[in-house]
Amino acid sequence: MIRLERASLRYGDILGLSPTSFELPEGGGITGLLGPNGAGKSSLIQLLAGLLPPSGGEVNIFGEAPFRNPNVLVRIGLVPEGDRFPVGLNGTRWLRMMGELSGLSGSELDAAIQRSLLAVGMETRAQLGFSSMSKGMRQRIRMAQALLHEPDLLILDEPFNGMDPEARLNLMDLMRELSSAGKRIIVSSHILGEVAQLTERILLLFRGRLLAEGSVPEIRELLDRHPIELRVASEDVRQVARWAVEQGELVALRMDEGAAILAVRNPRDFLPKLQDAIAAGQLPLRALDPLDLNLDAVFQYLTKDNA
Amino acid sequence: MPIYAPSLPPRPELSEGSHPIAVLAKFDLRRVVKRKVGFFIFGFIFLAILLVELIVLYGKYLINTSPGLGGLKEFANRIMTQGADYQAGLIDWWMLVPLWFMMAFMVGGIISRDSLYRIRPLIYAHPVRPQDYITAKALSAFIIPMAVMLPFVLLPWGFSLAMAGKAGPIWISAPLYLLPAAIIIGLLMAAVTLGASAMAGSPRASFGWVLGIVLGTSAIGGIFAGALQSKQWMAMSPYALVQAWPQLIFNVSDPLLKWAPTLAGTVLHIAFWTWIAVKRTKPSEAVL
Repeated sequence: MIRLERASLRYGDILGLSPTSFELPEGGGITGLLGPNGAGKSSLIQLLAGLLPPSGGEVNIFGEAPFRNPNVLVRIGLVPEGDRFPVGLNGTRWLRMMGELSGLSGSELDAAIQRSLLAVGMETRAQLGFSSMSKGMRQRIRMAQALLHEPDLLILDEPFNGMDPEARLNLMDLMRELSSAGKRIIVSSHILGEVAQLTERILLLFRGRLLAEGSVPEIRELLDRHPIELRVASEDVRQVARWAVEQGELVALRMDEGAAILAVRNPRDFLPKLQDAIAAGQLPLRALDPLDLNLDAVFQYLTKDNA
Repeated sequence: MPIYAPSLPPRPELSEGSHPIAVLAKFDLRRVVKRKVGFFIFGFIFLAILLVELIVLYGKYLINTSPGLGGLKEFANRIMTQGADYQAGLIDWWMLVPLWFMMAFMVGGIISRDSLYRIRPLIYAHPVRPQDYITAKALSAFIIPMAVMLPFVLLPWGFSLAMAGKAGPIWISAPLYLLPAAIIIGLLMAAVTLGASAMAGSPRASFGWVLGIVLGTSAIGGIFAGALQSKQWMAMSPYALVQAWPQLIFNVSDPLLKWAPTLAGTVLHIAFWTWIAVKRTKPSEAVL
Protein backbone atom coordinates (compact mmCIF):
# COMPACT_ATOMS: atom_id res chain seq x y z
CA MET A 1 0.00 0.00 0.00
CA ILE A 2 2.74 2.46 0.98
CA ARG A 3 6.26 1.78 -0.21
CA LEU A 4 9.24 4.08 -0.11
CA GLU A 5 12.43 3.01 -1.77
CA ARG A 6 15.39 5.21 -0.97
CA ALA A 7 13.08 8.20 -1.23
CA SER A 8 14.76 11.45 -0.28
CA LEU A 9 13.74 15.09 -0.26
CA ARG A 10 15.91 18.13 -0.69
CA TYR A 11 15.01 21.81 -0.35
CA GLY A 12 17.76 23.29 -2.47
CA ASP A 13 20.97 22.49 -0.60
CA ILE A 14 19.18 21.39 2.53
CA LEU A 15 18.46 17.71 2.94
CA GLY A 16 14.99 17.36 4.45
CA LEU A 17 14.88 13.59 4.33
CA SER A 18 17.77 11.19 3.71
CA PRO A 19 17.15 8.17 1.46
CA THR A 20 14.43 6.30 3.28
CA SER A 21 12.88 2.92 2.66
CA PHE A 22 9.93 1.27 4.35
CA GLU A 23 6.72 -0.45 3.53
CA LEU A 24 3.30 -0.37 5.15
CA PRO A 25 0.94 -3.17 4.17
CA GLU A 26 -2.61 -3.09 2.83
CA GLY A 27 -5.45 -2.86 5.34
CA GLY A 28 -6.17 -0.79 8.37
CA GLY A 29 -3.75 0.19 11.06
CA ILE A 30 -2.26 3.16 12.83
CA THR A 31 1.39 4.05 12.39
CA GLY A 32 3.04 6.68 14.53
CA LEU A 33 5.47 9.01 12.84
CA LEU A 34 7.77 10.09 15.61
CA GLY A 35 10.63 12.47 15.91
CA PRO A 36 11.64 15.76 17.47
CA ASN A 37 11.10 19.03 15.61
CA GLY A 38 13.23 19.11 12.46
CA ALA A 39 13.45 15.31 12.29
CA GLY A 40 11.96 15.14 8.81
CA LYS A 41 8.37 14.27 9.68
CA SER A 42 6.89 17.06 7.59
CA SER A 43 9.17 16.17 4.67
CA LEU A 44 7.98 12.59 4.81
CA ILE A 45 4.36 13.72 5.02
CA GLN A 46 4.85 15.93 1.99
CA LEU A 47 6.10 12.95 0.02
CA LEU A 48 3.29 10.69 1.23
CA ALA A 49 0.59 13.31 0.59
CA GLY A 50 1.88 13.92 -2.93
CA LEU A 51 2.73 17.55 -2.25
CA LEU A 52 6.28 17.18 -3.50
CA PRO A 53 8.08 14.67 -5.70
CA PRO A 54 11.00 12.83 -4.12
CA SER A 55 14.41 14.33 -4.96
CA GLY A 56 15.66 10.76 -5.29
CA GLY A 57 14.24 7.25 -5.02
CA GLU A 58 10.60 6.27 -5.28
CA VAL A 59 7.37 6.82 -3.39
CA ASN A 60 4.50 4.47 -4.12
CA ILE A 61 1.05 4.79 -2.61
CA PHE A 62 -1.62 2.33 -3.77
CA GLY A 63 0.86 1.21 -6.43
CA GLU A 64 1.39 4.67 -7.97
CA ALA A 65 3.52 7.75 -7.40
CA PRO A 66 1.33 10.23 -5.49
CA PHE A 67 2.81 13.51 -6.77
CA ARG A 68 0.20 15.29 -8.93
CA ASN A 69 -1.60 11.99 -9.34
CA PRO A 70 -5.36 12.48 -8.94
CA ASN A 71 -5.93 8.71 -8.73
CA VAL A 72 -3.88 8.60 -5.56
CA LEU A 73 -4.73 12.01 -4.12
CA VAL A 74 -8.46 11.29 -4.13
CA ARG A 75 -7.73 8.35 -1.80
CA ILE A 76 -5.72 10.40 0.72
CA GLY A 77 -7.05 12.60 3.51
CA LEU A 78 -4.59 15.09 4.97
CA VAL A 79 -4.85 17.02 8.21
CA PRO A 80 -1.93 19.45 8.12
CA GLU A 81 -0.36 20.88 11.23
CA GLY A 82 -1.37 24.30 12.47
CA ASP A 83 -4.44 26.15 13.52
CA ARG A 84 -4.87 28.78 10.88
CA PHE A 85 -8.12 29.35 9.07
CA PRO A 86 -9.16 32.27 6.91
CA VAL A 87 -10.94 34.99 8.85
CA GLY A 88 -14.62 35.44 8.10
CA LEU A 89 -15.17 31.85 7.02
CA ASN A 90 -17.35 29.24 8.66
CA GLY A 91 -16.87 25.51 8.96
CA THR A 92 -19.55 24.47 6.52
CA ARG A 93 -18.34 26.78 3.77
CA TRP A 94 -14.82 25.49 4.23
CA LEU A 95 -15.91 21.86 4.10
CA ARG A 96 -17.99 22.59 1.02
CA MET A 97 -14.99 23.91 -0.88
CA MET A 98 -12.76 21.04 0.22
CA GLY A 99 -15.46 18.51 -0.67
CA GLU A 100 -15.89 20.04 -4.11
CA LEU A 101 -12.12 19.87 -4.64
CA SER A 102 -12.36 16.14 -3.93
CA GLY A 103 -14.98 15.75 -6.64
CA LEU A 104 -18.12 15.73 -4.51
CA SER A 105 -21.14 17.79 -5.52
CA GLY A 106 -24.86 18.31 -4.96
CA SER A 107 -26.70 16.09 -2.52
CA GLU A 108 -23.73 13.75 -2.28
CA LEU A 109 -21.62 16.62 -0.98
CA ASP A 110 -24.34 17.69 1.49
CA ALA A 111 -24.59 14.15 2.81
CA ALA A 112 -20.80 13.79 3.08
CA ILE A 113 -20.55 17.05 5.04
CA GLN A 114 -23.32 16.01 7.42
CA ARG A 115 -21.82 12.58 8.01
CA SER A 116 -18.27 13.75 8.52
CA LEU A 117 -19.46 16.48 10.91
CA LEU A 118 -21.43 13.87 12.82
CA ALA A 119 -18.34 11.70 12.94
CA VAL A 120 -16.33 14.41 14.67
CA GLY A 121 -19.20 15.66 16.84
CA MET A 122 -19.54 19.05 15.14
CA GLU A 123 -22.89 18.68 13.40
CA THR A 124 -24.54 21.52 15.31
CA ARG A 125 -21.62 23.96 15.39
CA ALA A 126 -20.14 23.92 11.91
CA GLN A 127 -22.03 27.08 10.95
CA LEU A 128 -19.93 29.06 13.42
CA GLY A 129 -17.17 31.26 12.06
CA PHE A 130 -13.66 29.92 12.64
CA SER A 131 -12.90 32.92 14.82
CA SER A 132 -15.76 31.90 17.16
CA MET A 133 -14.58 28.30 17.45
CA SER A 134 -12.27 26.88 20.09
CA LYS A 135 -8.98 25.30 19.03
CA GLY A 136 -10.42 21.86 19.56
CA MET A 137 -13.47 22.65 17.43
CA ARG A 138 -11.27 23.88 14.60
CA GLN A 139 -9.21 20.72 14.83
CA ARG A 140 -12.39 18.67 14.52
CA ILE A 141 -13.32 20.60 11.40
CA ARG A 142 -9.89 19.79 9.98
CA MET A 143 -10.53 16.15 10.74
CA ALA A 144 -13.99 16.33 9.14
CA GLN A 145 -12.39 17.83 6.03
CA ALA A 146 -10.01 14.88 5.76
CA LEU A 147 -12.88 12.40 6.12
CA LEU A 148 -15.22 14.02 3.57
CA HIS A 149 -14.21 11.92 0.58
CA GLU A 150 -13.73 8.69 2.52
CA PRO A 151 -10.01 8.30 2.00
CA ASP A 152 -8.20 4.98 2.38
CA LEU A 153 -5.14 6.67 3.84
CA LEU A 154 -5.36 9.38 6.50
CA ILE A 155 -2.28 11.46 7.21
CA LEU A 156 -2.54 13.48 10.40
CA ASP A 157 0.19 15.96 11.25
CA GLU A 158 0.19 16.73 14.98
CA PRO A 159 -3.58 16.21 15.23
CA PHE A 160 -3.77 16.56 19.01
CA ASN A 161 -2.29 20.03 19.20
CA GLY A 162 -4.57 22.35 21.12
CA MET A 163 -7.12 19.70 22.03
CA ASP A 164 -8.37 19.29 25.55
CA PRO A 165 -7.95 15.84 27.15
CA GLU A 166 -11.52 14.76 26.42
CA ALA A 167 -11.29 15.79 22.78
CA ARG A 168 -7.95 13.92 22.51
CA LEU A 169 -9.47 10.73 23.85
CA ASN A 170 -12.45 11.10 21.52
CA LEU A 171 -10.19 11.64 18.53
CA MET A 172 -8.12 8.61 19.52
CA ASP A 173 -11.29 6.53 19.70
CA LEU A 174 -12.31 7.77 16.28
CA MET A 175 -8.90 6.89 14.85
CA ARG A 176 -9.05 3.41 16.33
CA GLU A 177 -12.49 2.86 14.84
CA LEU A 178 -11.41 4.12 11.44
CA SER A 179 -8.40 1.87 11.63
CA SER A 180 -10.49 -1.17 12.47
CA ALA A 181 -12.77 -0.20 9.54
CA GLY A 182 -9.80 -0.72 7.21
CA LYS A 183 -8.29 2.74 7.02
CA ARG A 184 -4.54 3.18 7.19
CA ILE A 185 -3.70 6.11 9.46
CA ILE A 186 -0.33 7.80 9.81
CA VAL A 187 -0.11 10.08 12.84
CA SER A 188 2.81 12.41 13.21
CA SER A 189 3.70 13.67 16.64
CA HIS A 190 6.63 14.76 18.70
CA ILE A 191 4.84 13.75 21.87
CA LEU A 192 5.60 10.11 22.51
CA GLY A 193 2.81 9.54 24.99
CA GLU A 194 0.16 10.41 22.43
CA VAL A 195 1.46 7.92 19.91
CA ALA A 196 2.09 5.29 22.56
CA GLN A 197 -1.60 5.38 23.49
CA LEU A 198 -2.61 4.85 19.90
CA THR A 199 -0.23 2.34 18.43
CA GLU A 200 2.92 0.34 18.91
CA ARG A 201 3.76 0.57 15.23
CA ILE A 202 6.14 3.48 14.69
CA LEU A 203 8.41 5.14 12.21
CA LEU A 204 11.09 6.97 14.13
CA LEU A 205 12.82 9.87 12.43
CA PHE A 206 15.76 11.89 13.60
CA ARG A 207 17.72 14.57 11.77
CA GLY A 208 16.19 13.64 8.43
CA ARG A 209 16.84 9.93 8.79
CA LEU A 210 14.53 7.03 9.44
CA LEU A 211 16.13 5.46 12.51
CA ALA A 212 13.72 2.64 13.11
CA GLU A 213 10.53 1.09 11.85
CA GLY A 214 8.38 -1.53 13.52
CA SER A 215 6.73 -2.16 16.85
CA VAL A 216 8.29 -0.73 20.00
CA PRO A 217 9.37 -4.15 21.40
CA GLU A 218 10.80 -5.16 18.01
CA ILE A 219 12.84 -1.99 17.79
CA ARG A 220 13.86 -2.24 21.43
CA GLU A 221 15.18 -5.73 20.82
CA LEU A 222 17.38 -4.48 18.04
CA LEU A 223 19.07 -2.03 20.38
CA ASP A 224 21.79 -4.43 21.51
CA ARG A 225 23.96 -1.68 22.87
CA HIS A 226 21.38 -0.90 25.48
CA PRO A 227 20.60 -3.81 27.85
CA ILE A 228 17.01 -3.99 28.97
CA GLU A 229 16.42 -2.90 32.54
CA LEU A 230 14.06 -4.95 34.68
CA ARG A 231 12.96 -3.90 38.12
CA VAL A 232 12.34 -7.04 40.18
CA ALA A 233 10.54 -6.22 43.41
CA SER A 234 10.87 -8.93 46.01
CA GLU A 235 10.68 -9.55 49.76
CA ASP A 236 14.20 -10.99 49.54
CA VAL A 237 16.12 -8.77 47.17
CA ARG A 238 19.46 -10.37 48.08
CA GLN A 239 18.22 -13.75 46.90
CA VAL A 240 17.13 -12.24 43.58
CA ALA A 241 20.57 -10.65 43.24
CA ARG A 242 22.33 -13.91 44.05
CA TRP A 243 20.29 -15.76 41.44
CA ALA A 244 20.77 -12.99 38.83
CA VAL A 245 24.58 -12.85 39.01
CA GLU A 246 24.70 -16.51 38.06
CA GLN A 247 22.92 -15.76 34.75
CA GLY A 248 25.10 -15.11 31.71
CA GLU A 249 22.73 -12.45 30.35
CA LEU A 250 23.21 -10.12 33.30
CA VAL A 251 25.19 -7.01 32.44
CA ALA A 252 24.67 -4.87 35.53
CA LEU A 253 22.89 -5.03 38.84
CA ARG A 254 21.90 -2.34 41.29
CA MET A 255 19.74 -2.30 44.31
CA ASP A 256 16.70 -0.13 44.77
CA GLU A 257 14.24 0.16 47.65
CA GLY A 258 12.79 -3.35 47.94
CA ALA A 259 13.86 -4.27 44.42
CA ALA A 260 16.80 -5.28 42.29
CA ILE A 261 17.33 -3.58 38.97
CA LEU A 262 18.76 -6.00 36.48
CA ALA A 263 20.30 -4.89 33.17
CA VAL A 264 20.19 -7.88 30.86
CA ARG A 265 20.96 -8.74 27.27
CA ASN A 266 18.97 -11.25 25.24
CA PRO A 267 15.70 -10.91 27.15
CA ARG A 268 14.25 -13.75 25.08
CA ASP A 269 16.67 -16.11 26.81
CA PHE A 270 16.65 -14.43 30.19
CA LEU A 271 12.92 -14.04 30.78
CA PRO A 272 12.02 -17.76 30.46
CA LYS A 273 14.78 -18.54 33.00
CA LEU A 274 13.35 -15.93 35.36
CA GLN A 275 9.89 -17.38 34.86
CA ASP A 276 11.13 -20.91 35.64
CA ALA A 277 12.92 -19.72 38.75
CA ILE A 278 9.79 -18.02 40.02
CA ALA A 279 7.66 -21.05 39.23
CA ALA A 280 10.15 -23.26 41.11
CA GLY A 281 9.85 -21.01 44.16
CA GLN A 282 13.51 -19.92 44.03
CA LEU A 283 12.61 -16.23 43.82
CA PRO A 284 9.97 -14.63 46.06
CA LEU A 285 8.79 -12.20 43.41
CA ARG A 286 6.39 -9.36 44.19
CA ALA A 287 6.46 -7.44 40.89
CA LEU A 288 8.34 -7.33 37.60
CA ASP A 289 8.57 -4.02 35.80
CA PRO A 290 10.46 -3.46 32.54
CA LEU A 291 11.88 0.04 32.86
CA ASP A 292 12.96 0.79 29.30
CA LEU A 293 10.69 -1.18 27.03
CA ASN A 294 8.49 1.83 26.46
CA LEU A 295 8.49 4.27 23.59
CA ASP A 296 10.27 7.00 25.54
CA ALA A 297 13.23 4.77 26.27
CA VAL A 298 13.46 3.53 22.67
CA PHE A 299 13.29 7.07 21.42
CA GLN A 300 15.95 8.25 23.85
CA TYR A 301 18.35 5.41 22.99
CA LEU A 302 17.91 5.81 19.25
CA THR A 303 18.32 9.54 19.21
CA LYS A 304 21.30 9.42 21.60
CA ASP A 305 23.04 6.76 19.51
CA ASN A 306 22.54 8.78 16.35
CA ALA A 307 23.23 12.22 17.73
CA MET B 1 -19.29 15.83 22.81
CA PRO B 2 -18.82 12.22 21.69
CA ILE B 3 -17.24 11.32 18.37
CA TYR B 4 -18.88 8.57 16.36
CA ALA B 5 -17.41 6.21 13.83
CA PRO B 6 -18.28 7.66 10.43
CA SER B 7 -20.40 6.00 7.84
CA LEU B 8 -19.50 7.87 4.71
CA PRO B 9 -20.77 7.73 1.14
CA PRO B 10 -18.69 5.96 -1.51
CA ARG B 11 -15.67 7.82 -2.76
CA PRO B 12 -16.55 9.97 -5.81
CA GLU B 13 -15.35 9.18 -9.28
CA LEU B 14 -12.69 11.53 -10.61
CA SER B 15 -14.89 12.74 -13.42
CA GLU B 16 -17.64 13.86 -11.06
CA GLY B 17 -18.13 17.30 -9.56
CA SER B 18 -16.93 20.72 -10.66
CA HIS B 19 -13.51 21.39 -12.12
CA PRO B 20 -11.04 22.60 -9.44
CA ILE B 21 -10.63 25.90 -11.33
CA ALA B 22 -14.37 26.57 -11.03
CA VAL B 23 -14.42 25.53 -7.36
CA LEU B 24 -11.50 27.75 -6.37
CA ALA B 25 -12.61 30.73 -8.47
CA LYS B 26 -16.14 30.51 -7.07
CA PHE B 27 -14.76 30.42 -3.54
CA ASP B 28 -12.54 33.47 -4.13
CA LEU B 29 -15.21 35.52 -5.90
CA ARG B 30 -17.68 34.78 -3.17
CA ARG B 31 -15.16 35.88 -0.58
CA VAL B 32 -14.44 39.15 -2.42
CA VAL B 33 -18.13 39.94 -2.81
CA LYS B 34 -18.70 39.21 0.88
CA ARG B 35 -16.17 41.84 1.91
CA LYS B 36 -18.88 44.25 2.92
CA VAL B 37 -16.74 47.31 3.68
CA GLY B 38 -14.81 47.11 0.42
CA PHE B 39 -17.90 46.30 -1.57
CA PHE B 40 -19.74 49.30 -0.14
CA ILE B 41 -16.85 51.78 -0.55
CA PHE B 42 -15.91 50.85 -4.08
CA GLY B 43 -19.47 50.14 -5.16
CA PHE B 44 -20.40 53.64 -4.05
CA ILE B 45 -17.42 55.22 -5.86
CA PHE B 46 -18.07 53.42 -9.13
CA LEU B 47 -21.82 54.01 -9.02
CA ALA B 48 -21.20 57.71 -8.47
CA ILE B 49 -18.81 57.86 -11.43
CA LEU B 50 -21.22 55.93 -13.61
CA LEU B 51 -24.07 58.20 -12.61
CA VAL B 52 -22.04 61.26 -13.62
CA GLU B 53 -21.32 59.64 -16.98
CA LEU B 54 -24.99 58.99 -17.61
CA ILE B 55 -26.01 62.50 -16.50
CA VAL B 56 -23.44 63.96 -18.92
CA LEU B 57 -24.89 61.83 -21.69
CA TYR B 58 -28.42 62.87 -20.91
CA GLY B 59 -27.36 66.53 -20.76
CA LYS B 60 -25.78 66.17 -24.17
CA TYR B 61 -28.95 64.60 -25.49
CA LEU B 62 -31.10 67.41 -24.13
CA ILE B 63 -28.83 70.08 -25.59
CA ASN B 64 -28.91 68.42 -29.01
CA THR B 65 -32.64 67.88 -29.04
CA SER B 66 -34.17 70.85 -27.18
CA PRO B 67 -34.49 74.01 -29.29
CA GLY B 68 -34.50 76.09 -26.11
CA LEU B 69 -30.99 74.95 -25.26
CA GLY B 70 -29.60 75.66 -28.75
CA GLY B 71 -27.35 78.41 -27.45
CA LEU B 72 -25.48 75.96 -25.27
CA LYS B 73 -24.80 73.57 -28.13
CA GLU B 74 -21.46 74.95 -29.20
CA PHE B 75 -20.23 75.21 -25.64
CA ALA B 76 -21.47 71.69 -24.86
CA ASN B 77 -19.79 70.23 -27.92
CA ARG B 78 -16.54 71.79 -26.81
CA ILE B 79 -16.58 70.48 -23.22
CA MET B 80 -18.39 67.22 -23.89
CA THR B 81 -16.85 65.83 -27.02
CA GLN B 82 -18.57 62.79 -28.41
CA GLY B 83 -15.78 61.47 -30.62
CA ALA B 84 -12.90 59.14 -29.92
CA ASP B 85 -11.65 61.18 -26.95
CA TYR B 86 -15.00 61.03 -25.23
CA GLN B 87 -15.43 57.29 -25.76
CA ALA B 88 -11.86 56.45 -24.77
CA GLY B 89 -12.46 58.59 -21.70
CA LEU B 90 -15.14 56.21 -20.48
CA ILE B 91 -12.25 54.19 -19.07
CA ASP B 92 -9.83 56.81 -17.84
CA TRP B 93 -7.86 57.79 -14.75
CA TRP B 94 -10.88 58.79 -12.67
CA MET B 95 -12.11 55.23 -12.95
CA LEU B 96 -8.75 53.46 -13.15
CA VAL B 97 -7.32 55.02 -9.97
CA PRO B 98 -10.12 53.70 -7.72
CA LEU B 99 -9.94 50.44 -9.67
CA TRP B 100 -6.27 50.00 -8.75
CA PHE B 101 -7.16 50.72 -5.12
CA MET B 102 -9.96 48.21 -5.31
CA MET B 103 -7.63 45.57 -6.75
CA ALA B 104 -5.10 46.22 -3.98
CA PHE B 105 -7.70 46.24 -1.21
CA MET B 106 -10.13 43.55 -2.26
CA VAL B 107 -8.17 41.26 -4.59
CA GLY B 108 -4.67 41.72 -3.16
CA GLY B 109 -5.15 38.89 -0.69
CA ILE B 110 -6.11 36.37 -3.33
CA ILE B 111 -2.86 34.39 -2.97
CA SER B 112 -1.31 35.91 0.14
CA ARG B 113 -4.29 34.85 2.25
CA ASP B 114 -3.62 31.24 1.24
CA SER B 115 0.05 31.72 2.16
CA LEU B 116 -0.84 33.28 5.51
CA TYR B 117 -3.26 30.53 6.48
CA ARG B 118 -1.21 27.75 4.83
CA ILE B 119 -4.13 26.68 2.68
CA ARG B 120 -2.11 25.79 -0.40
CA PRO B 121 -0.66 22.50 0.92
CA LEU B 122 -4.16 21.36 1.72
CA ILE B 123 -5.40 22.37 -1.74
CA TYR B 124 -2.51 20.56 -3.43
CA ALA B 125 -3.27 17.49 -1.32
CA HIS B 126 -6.51 17.28 -3.34
CA PRO B 127 -6.59 16.47 -7.05
CA VAL B 128 -5.66 20.08 -7.89
CA ARG B 129 -2.69 20.85 -10.13
CA PRO B 130 -0.64 24.00 -9.58
CA GLN B 131 -1.83 25.26 -12.97
CA ASP B 132 -5.45 24.79 -11.82
CA TYR B 133 -4.69 26.83 -8.73
CA ILE B 134 -3.02 29.72 -10.51
CA THR B 135 -5.61 29.71 -13.31
CA ALA B 136 -8.42 29.94 -10.76
CA LYS B 137 -6.70 32.84 -9.03
CA ALA B 138 -6.03 34.60 -12.33
CA LEU B 139 -9.64 34.08 -13.41
CA SER B 140 -10.95 35.63 -10.20
CA ALA B 141 -8.49 38.52 -10.39
CA PHE B 142 -9.57 39.14 -14.01
CA ILE B 143 -13.32 38.84 -13.46
CA ILE B 144 -13.41 41.46 -10.71
CA PRO B 145 -12.04 44.47 -12.67
CA MET B 146 -14.02 43.32 -15.69
CA ALA B 147 -17.19 43.35 -13.61
CA VAL B 148 -16.44 46.98 -12.76
CA MET B 149 -15.47 48.06 -16.28
CA LEU B 150 -18.31 46.35 -18.15
CA PRO B 151 -21.03 48.70 -16.87
CA PHE B 152 -18.86 51.65 -17.96
CA VAL B 153 -18.67 50.16 -21.43
CA LEU B 154 -22.20 48.92 -21.82
CA LEU B 155 -24.43 51.24 -19.79
CA PRO B 156 -23.50 54.60 -21.44
CA TRP B 157 -23.77 52.96 -24.83
CA GLY B 158 -27.09 51.30 -24.05
CA PHE B 159 -28.37 54.51 -22.47
CA SER B 160 -27.48 56.56 -25.51
CA LEU B 161 -29.02 54.03 -27.83
CA ALA B 162 -32.20 54.13 -25.80
CA MET B 163 -32.30 57.91 -26.04
CA ALA B 164 -31.43 58.51 -29.66
CA GLY B 165 -30.76 55.27 -31.49
CA LYS B 166 -27.79 55.20 -33.81
CA ALA B 167 -27.82 58.95 -34.10
CA GLY B 168 -27.20 59.33 -30.37
CA PRO B 169 -24.14 60.79 -28.78
CA ILE B 170 -22.33 57.44 -28.45
CA TRP B 171 -21.50 55.42 -31.51
CA ILE B 172 -21.71 51.71 -31.97
CA SER B 173 -17.90 51.68 -31.74
CA ALA B 174 -17.94 52.18 -27.95
CA PRO B 175 -18.48 48.57 -26.87
CA LEU B 176 -16.55 47.20 -29.86
CA TYR B 177 -13.44 49.21 -29.00
CA LEU B 178 -13.77 49.46 -25.25
CA LEU B 179 -14.32 45.76 -24.68
CA PRO B 180 -10.87 44.74 -26.01
CA ALA B 181 -9.33 47.62 -24.06
CA ALA B 182 -11.14 46.49 -20.90
CA ILE B 183 -9.95 42.91 -21.44
CA ILE B 184 -6.32 44.00 -21.77
CA ILE B 185 -6.64 46.27 -18.74
CA GLY B 186 -8.24 43.44 -16.78
CA LEU B 187 -5.42 41.06 -17.73
CA LEU B 188 -2.75 43.58 -16.78
CA MET B 189 -4.35 44.45 -13.46
CA ALA B 190 -4.90 40.77 -12.68
CA ALA B 191 -1.27 39.88 -13.48
CA VAL B 192 0.18 42.71 -11.35
CA THR B 193 -2.16 41.90 -8.46
CA LEU B 194 -1.41 38.17 -8.65
CA GLY B 195 2.35 38.77 -8.70
CA ALA B 196 2.15 41.21 -5.79
CA SER B 197 -0.11 38.89 -3.83
CA ALA B 198 2.20 35.94 -4.42
CA MET B 199 5.15 37.89 -3.04
CA ALA B 200 3.30 39.15 0.02
CA GLY B 201 2.86 37.23 3.23
CA SER B 202 -0.53 38.66 4.14
CA PRO B 203 -3.43 40.52 2.48
CA ARG B 204 -2.33 43.72 4.21
CA ALA B 205 1.15 43.36 2.74
CA SER B 206 -0.41 42.67 -0.67
CA PHE B 207 -2.18 46.02 -0.53
CA GLY B 208 1.21 47.66 -0.10
CA TRP B 209 2.81 45.55 -2.79
CA VAL B 210 0.17 46.35 -5.43
CA LEU B 211 0.25 50.08 -4.78
CA GLY B 212 4.01 49.98 -4.41
CA ILE B 213 4.43 48.37 -7.82
CA VAL B 214 2.02 50.79 -9.50
CA LEU B 215 3.39 53.92 -7.87
CA GLY B 216 7.02 52.79 -7.88
CA THR B 217 7.10 51.98 -11.58
CA SER B 218 5.26 55.24 -12.32
CA ALA B 219 7.90 57.18 -10.39
CA ILE B 220 10.77 55.39 -12.13
CA GLY B 221 9.06 55.80 -15.52
CA GLY B 222 8.55 59.48 -14.79
CA ILE B 223 12.22 59.95 -13.91
CA PHE B 224 13.33 58.25 -17.14
CA ALA B 225 10.75 60.16 -19.17
CA GLY B 226 11.97 63.45 -17.72
CA ALA B 227 15.67 62.66 -18.03
CA LEU B 228 15.46 61.30 -21.57
CA GLN B 229 12.81 63.76 -22.75
CA SER B 230 10.47 61.01 -23.92
CA LYS B 231 7.18 60.21 -22.25
CA GLN B 232 7.25 56.75 -23.82
CA TRP B 233 9.30 55.63 -20.81
CA MET B 234 6.08 55.84 -18.86
CA ALA B 235 5.30 52.46 -20.46
CA MET B 236 7.27 51.03 -17.52
CA SER B 237 4.26 51.81 -15.38
CA PRO B 238 1.16 49.57 -15.37
CA TYR B 239 -0.82 52.65 -14.41
CA ALA B 240 0.19 54.46 -17.61
CA LEU B 241 -0.37 51.32 -19.66
CA VAL B 242 -3.95 50.84 -18.54
CA GLN B 243 -4.64 54.47 -19.34
CA ALA B 244 -3.02 54.19 -22.77
CA TRP B 245 -4.98 51.21 -24.11
CA PRO B 246 -8.41 52.85 -24.56
CA GLN B 247 -6.71 55.87 -26.17
CA LEU B 248 -4.77 53.73 -28.63
CA ILE B 249 -7.69 51.52 -29.55
CA PHE B 250 -9.90 54.56 -30.20
CA ASN B 251 -7.03 56.25 -32.03
CA VAL B 252 -7.31 59.50 -30.07
CA SER B 253 -5.38 62.49 -31.35
CA ASP B 254 -2.72 62.68 -28.63
CA PRO B 255 -2.41 59.36 -26.81
CA LEU B 256 -0.37 59.08 -23.64
CA LEU B 257 1.83 56.37 -25.17
CA LYS B 258 2.51 54.97 -28.62
CA TRP B 259 1.59 51.47 -29.74
CA ALA B 260 5.03 49.81 -29.54
CA PRO B 261 5.97 50.77 -25.97
CA THR B 262 2.42 50.09 -24.78
CA LEU B 263 2.40 46.64 -26.33
CA ALA B 264 5.90 45.82 -25.10
CA GLY B 265 5.23 47.14 -21.59
CA THR B 266 1.95 45.25 -21.31
CA VAL B 267 3.39 41.95 -22.54
CA LEU B 268 6.41 42.28 -20.26
CA HIS B 269 4.36 43.15 -17.19
CA ILE B 270 1.84 40.35 -17.75
CA ALA B 271 4.61 37.81 -18.43
CA PHE B 272 6.78 38.90 -15.50
CA TRP B 273 4.08 39.06 -12.83
CA THR B 274 2.48 35.84 -14.02
CA TRP B 275 5.88 34.16 -13.85
CA ILE B 276 6.34 35.44 -10.29
CA ALA B 277 2.90 34.16 -9.31
CA VAL B 278 3.51 30.73 -10.88
CA LYS B 279 6.92 30.44 -9.27
CA ARG B 280 5.68 31.46 -5.83
CA THR B 281 2.73 29.08 -5.83
CA LYS B 282 4.41 25.91 -7.03
CA PRO B 283 4.16 22.95 -4.65
CA SER B 284 7.68 23.39 -3.28
CA GLU B 285 6.58 26.79 -1.97
CA ALA B 286 3.57 25.18 -0.32
CA VAL B 287 5.51 23.49 2.44
CA LEU B 288 3.61 22.27 5.48
